[in-house]
Amino acid sequence: MQPQCCWHKEQIERHDCPNIRDGDGPLLFDRKQRFLTRCLTCHLFIEDLRSLGPAAGDLPQLLPFAIEKLVALEAENRELRGRIGSLEQQGCFLREVGQELQSSLDKDGVIAMALTAVTAGEGFDLNRAILLLVDHSSQSLNGYLAIGPRDHAEAGDIWREIEQRKFSLREMAQRLKEEKFAAEREKFQDLLGVLSISLQRSNHLFVQTLDSRVSRHISDLAREPGIDPAQVAALGVREMILVPLVSKRRRIGLLLADNLINKRPLGERDQQALETFATPVAYALERAELYERLQMELERTTVANQRLKDQQLQILQMEKMALVGKIAADVAHSIRNPLTIIGGYARNLAKTMPATDPQRPAIDSIIRESLRLEDALEEVLLYSEARHPTLDDWDINRILHGVYAGVQADLGQTAATVELDLSPSLPLARVDFKRLGYCLRSILKQLIHAATSDSHIAISTRLSGRQILLSFSGTNLAPVALPESGKCNPVGNGKSSGLGLALCARVLEGQNAEFDIQTEPQGTVHMTIAITLNEERIHEPVTDC
Amino acid sequence: MSRLLIVDDEQDICRLYAAELEDEGYQVETAGSAAAAAELLTSRNYDLVVLDVQMPGESGLQVLQNIVRDKPELPVILCTAYSCYKDDFSSWLADAYVVKSSDTGELKSEIARILGKRHMSKNQ
Repeated sequence: MQPQCCWHKEQIERHDCPNIRDGDGPLLFDRKQRFLTRCLTCHLFIEDLRSLGPAAGDLPQLLPFAIEKLVALEAENRELRGRIGSLEQQGCFLREVGQELQSSLDKDGVIAMALTAVTAGEGFDLNRAILLLVDHSSQSLNGYLAIGPRDHAEAGDIWREIEQRKFSLREMAQRLKEEKFAAEREKFQDLLGVLSISLQRSNHLFVQTLDSRVSRHISDLAREPGIDPAQVAALGVREMILVPLVSKRRRIGLLLADNLINKRPLGERDQQALETFATPVAYALERAELYERLQMELERTTVANQRLKDQQLQILQMEKMALVGKIAADVAHSIRNPLTIIGGYARNLAKTMPATDPQRPAIDSIIRESLRLEDALEEVLLYSEARHPTLDDWDINRILHGVYAGVQADLGQTAATVELDLSPSLPLARVDFKRLGYCLRSILKQLIHAATSDSHIAISTRLSGRQILLSFSGTNLAPVALPESGKCNPVGNGKSSGLGLALCARVLEGQNAEFDIQTEPQGTVHMTIAITLNEERIHEPVTDC
Repeated sequence: MSRLLIVDDEQDICRLYAAELEDEGYQVETAGSAAAAAELLTSRNYDLVVLDVQMPGESGLQVLQNIVRDKPELPVILCTAYSCYKDDFSSWLADAYVVKSSDTGELKSEIARILGKRHMSKNQ
C-alpha cells in the first residue's frame, strides 16, 4: 500500500507535504530533517503507521507519546536559546556600560550612563530612575537627578522618539548629558527636593538602605514606616527598588527605580540586576569625584605655583629697585653734600654782608642757583622712584595742609590772595604721601612763581563720584609763566617748570590719579588732580585728622 | 643753653651746621664718624643729635639704634642727602627727618620744635 505521508521520499515537491511552509525549502531535499521536524507530527504519518496493521504492534499508540516529549524538549530548547540570547544581549549591554563607567572621569557622564542604563529598553527597561547623592560636607542625602517620563503622554513621546531614531545606549547617555540634563533636573526639581534628607535620620528608609549596604524591593511604599508621607506622595508609585551605591569605605548615594508608567511588576531579577550594576556605578562615581577633587587641587597648586613665580619675579624686581635706590643714594650723596656746602656757606656769608656790597649779587646768585640745583636733584631722584610708589591710606586734606604750610614763606613774597576750600568729608585715599606731597608743592610753587600783585589762587578739594578732585586755580597770573593746557605728558617738557609738572603727571600716574591743566587767556589756569578711589573707600569719610 | 651734637663725615657740613646753629644760640659739638659720635655720647650729655645717615664704617641708622637703646630720651634728627631713607623703618625711630639743603631753615625749625616740646614736657 502506498504511504500517504512523504516520509519515505528522498526529495519531495512542495505540494507533497501539507506541513511545508515558506522558508522550508531545504526540507524538500533533506529527508532526515523533514522526518524529524514535520513527519513525526503529521497525521498522515500516523495513518501510514496504522495501515501497517498488526505488524506495527502498538507503535502507533507509543509514537504520539514520544512525539509529545520531543515537542516539549524542542520548546524548552527554544526557550533556553531565547534566554541565552537575552543574557548575551544583557552581557553586551553590561560590557558597554562597564567600559563607559570604567573609562569616564566625568561625574555627570557616569551619572548619565547609569541612569540611561536603568531606563533604556535595551538596558534594565525600567520606567524611572532617581539618583540621590551623599553630600559629605552637609551630611545629607540630596536628590541629584531623575530621568524618565512623568506621565503616559510623555512616555509615548520618548519611546516613539527612541524607536524612530534608533539611539544606541551610549548615544542616549551622551544626549542626556549634553542636552537634557538641565531639563530633567528642572522637571524633577520638586521631587528631588522632597527626597533630600539628613543622614542623621538613621530610621529613614533611604538612610537605612544606604547604611545596610543591601538593596531593597519595596512592594508597598505606603506601608513602609521609614519614609515620609510627602515623599510617598511625591514618588507616586506603590512598588520600587532601592539600591545603595557604596564603595569600599564611603557612602556614595542611593539609586531608586520604578515602573511609574507601565506598572510592570518588579521582580527578583530586576533587583539582582540593579544590585550587580550598582557596584561599578558607585566606584565610577567615587573615581569621578576623586578626579574632580584632584583637578581642583591641581588648579589650586597651579595658581599657588604661579603666585610663587610672580613673587619670585617681584623679589627680583625689588632687588633691582634696591640697586637703583643704592645708586640714587650714592648720586644724591655725591651731589647734595657739595651743594649744601656751597649754598650753605653762601647764605652764611650773605647774613653778614651788607646789601650794598659789590659781591652781594654774586653771593645771591650762588644761593639761588644752588637751591635750583637742589630742586632739580630732588626731581631726578623722585623720577627714579616714581614707578614704585609706596601706597598707604592718607587724608588728602592733611597732606594739602602740610604742603600749604610749607610754602608760606614763598607765598609771603607775593601779594597774591589765596583761598582754601577743603571738603570736610573726604574718604581716605591710597596714595604715596611723599610723592603726592611733592606734586602738590610743585603745583603750588608753579602758581606762586606766576603770581602777580593782582593774582588770586583758589585751592579746593571735593568728592566727585569715585574720585577726589584737588583743584588749583589761579587768575591774573603772568601768562608767560603758565604751563600749556592738556593732560600733562609725563615725558613732556613742562616749559616753565623744569621737570616739575611733567614729573607730577608721571608720579600721579602710578597712584591712580590723573593730572589735567587748562590754561586760559589773560593769565588764568586750572590744574586738577583726580584721584580714583577704591570702591569700598567711597563711603568712608575721615573721622579724625 | 641746649647742647647739640652734629654727626657727619663731611667736615664742611659739620662746620656749616655748627656755625648756623651757634648763630641760633645753641652750643654745638661735631663728630666726623659713628665711632667718634659713640665716644662723645658716652662721655658727655647732649640735648639733641643731628645725625647723617650715609657715613663710612658704621651708618647713621646703626648709631640711631644705639642711641635708642642706650639713651632713649635723647632726641635725634636724621639729616641726609637722600630722602629714600624715610622708607627704611629703622629711620622711624628718629624724632625727625630732614633732607640736607643749603637752606637750613627746616633743620632749625625741627630742632626748635623738638627742644621746645621737650622743654614744655619737662616743665609740666
